[in-house]
Amino acid sequence: MNKKNMRVLRELFYLRMHGLMVFRLDFLAPFFVDGSLFVIQLLAFGVVYGHVDAIGSWGRGEMILYIGTFSLLNAINMTIYFFGVNSIPYKVRSGELDLYLSKPVSPLFRLTFENISPGSVPLILMSLCIVAYGVSTLRMPLTLPVVISYGFWVLVMIVLYYELEVVIRSVSLYMVSMARLEQIEEAGLELCMKLPGIAFYGVYKVIFYLILPYGIMATLPVQSMIGEMNLQTAAFGIGVVALFSAVTAVLWTQGLKHYNSASS
Amino acid sequence: MKDIVIHTENLVKTYRRYKKEEGLYGSIASLWKRNYEEKTAVNRVDLSVREGEFIGLIGPNGAGKTTLIKMLTGIIAPTDGEIEVLGYYPNDLRNEFKKQYAVVMGQKSQLFFELTVNDTLRLFKEIYEISEQEFQRNKQYFMKLFGVEELMDVQVRTLSLGERMKMELIVSLLHNPRILFLDEPTIGLDAVAAKQIRSFLKEINEKKGTTILLTSHYMEDIQVLCQRTVVVNHGVKIYDGSTEELFDRYQKNKRIIVSFGKPMRKLLLETQDARLVEDTSYKKVYEVPKESARRLLAEMMKYEPGDIVVEEEEIGVIVERIYQEGSEYLG
Repeated sequence: MNKKNMRVLRELFYLRMHGLMVFRLDFLAPFFVDGSLFVIQLLAFGVVYGHVDAIGSWGRGEMILYIGTFSLLNAINMTIYFFGVNSIPYKVRSGELDLYLSKPVSPLFRLTFENISPGSVPLILMSLCIVAYGVSTLRMPLTLPVVISYGFWVLVMIVLYYELEVVIRSVSLYMVSMARLEQIEEAGLELCMKLPGIAFYGVYKVIFYLILPYGIMATLPVQSMIGEMNLQTAAFGIGVVALFSAVTAVLWTQGLKHYNSASS
Repeated sequence: MKDIVIHTENLVKTYRRYKKEEGLYGSIASLWKRNYEEKTAVNRVDLSVREGEFIGLIGPNGAGKTTLIKMLTGIIAPTDGEIEVLGYYPNDLRNEFKKQYAVVMGQKSQLFFELTVNDTLRLFKEIYEISEQEFQRNKQYFMKLFGVEELMDVQVRTLSLGERMKMELIVSLLHNPRILFLDEPTIGLDAVAAKQIRSFLKEINEKKGTTILLTSHYMEDIQVLCQRTVVVNHGVKIYDGSTEELFDRYQKNKRIIVSFGKPMRKLLLETQDARLVEDTSYKKVYEVPKESARRLLAEMMKYEPGDIVVEEEEIGVIVERIYQEGSEYLG
């Protein structure tokens, strides 16, 4: 990120904070709403995994680590870019994208970071607590290389998560109706939040490891932490992210060429 | 001779739009067989604009004015033809290009409604990489010019439409653009606010040398501001020349709206060629050849009117007359 983008990012952050603080309820409500949803989700996991001792080769400790990691990815997504990226189809349909295209800053950059949600920050902390609980359940030694490796894979998977969201929403640049494509995303996320990638075989593995790679998002960071990651898996993970980076770039830039704006 | 900053040749933009027969049968049939028709929004338009010009782009609804502006700013890509603005192909969307122009769309706001204008300006300062010194200098200049010093820290949503348009212009002009594209900037404004906006635009064009391309429905905007006018209809350019000539040649009548404070019966007028087009007790609307307008106005004063408004003919009438009387662009 260059200096200009850093300065724009800082201003977008300030504007968002000013905007949220205009109405106190707008600022405070997400802390309660997001927190409540998070607790409900945890209770659901508790019910499911309270009666299951193992999934594949993973026991309860690994699963807690997995749930914590998925929640962490989700919380970072919600905090930083979800609300911005999610507004893309609306901005395309309404013609508001015009105002982004005519400014000398990447429209995608501005869209991505203009709706950060501080209300989701507590979710990041809660997710980290679950990860810590998973580590203590596993009684594994937490060395610096392990932490760095885990942090690295979390960062890589945040990029993948972002790219998947942008890819799906870029469809709105090509066609008026997105035919509920976002629901595929929701269903994939919901499934992969409950089941780690190691549980998938055959065609499901192709779908959730390559086509809609939600299956690897929390699995690879966990594998890196518990020492299950080999060179082949790491190369595959990096390859998928690189592939989706290219797909995202092409779909977005070509999509802008297709953009016809809304008649005013 | 000043540089050409906008150049288009045979510029075309076509849209594909979906057509369906009415009723449920039409909807079901459309699942298998889609019918599309091509709509040419801009049709082989040639346009050359020199630096510092103030050009009016007029035409009825759906004439292609906004589409043309969107192509010139790179928001949409042309279907065919050549286009160059400030030496760039606009739809490449290069930041170096975008830093040199500004666009104000009367119906789309770039301000954050919940925030103040000062908040928004800070973001634009960073987006356009304006130094603090230049930012302060320009901000002060425009605040004084538009007389909005008191409104800079007020929530945008509480501003009137006229005040908001002034703020839109400040935000757009902060980086000293070489070209300013204005798409219906006076739409919905009352007469006083529209007049103020016109006078600011005139000053910016004259003092800063900013090239301005203005689209408007209102003939007054064009007559007051633009030395040159381009008229488009159905995407085709039908007139490109001096505004004075356009009005001399194709603007035949004036519309005079007279309001009274007390009920009035039919007025007996000496101006024979004045045509009464609307007649109520408190309001009379006349259409009169522009040569006779002065005489009719003088005559009206005898009846002690509450208010008199003189309007130009609507753009649709002008377009019709250009077709009737011909122009070099109609062949």
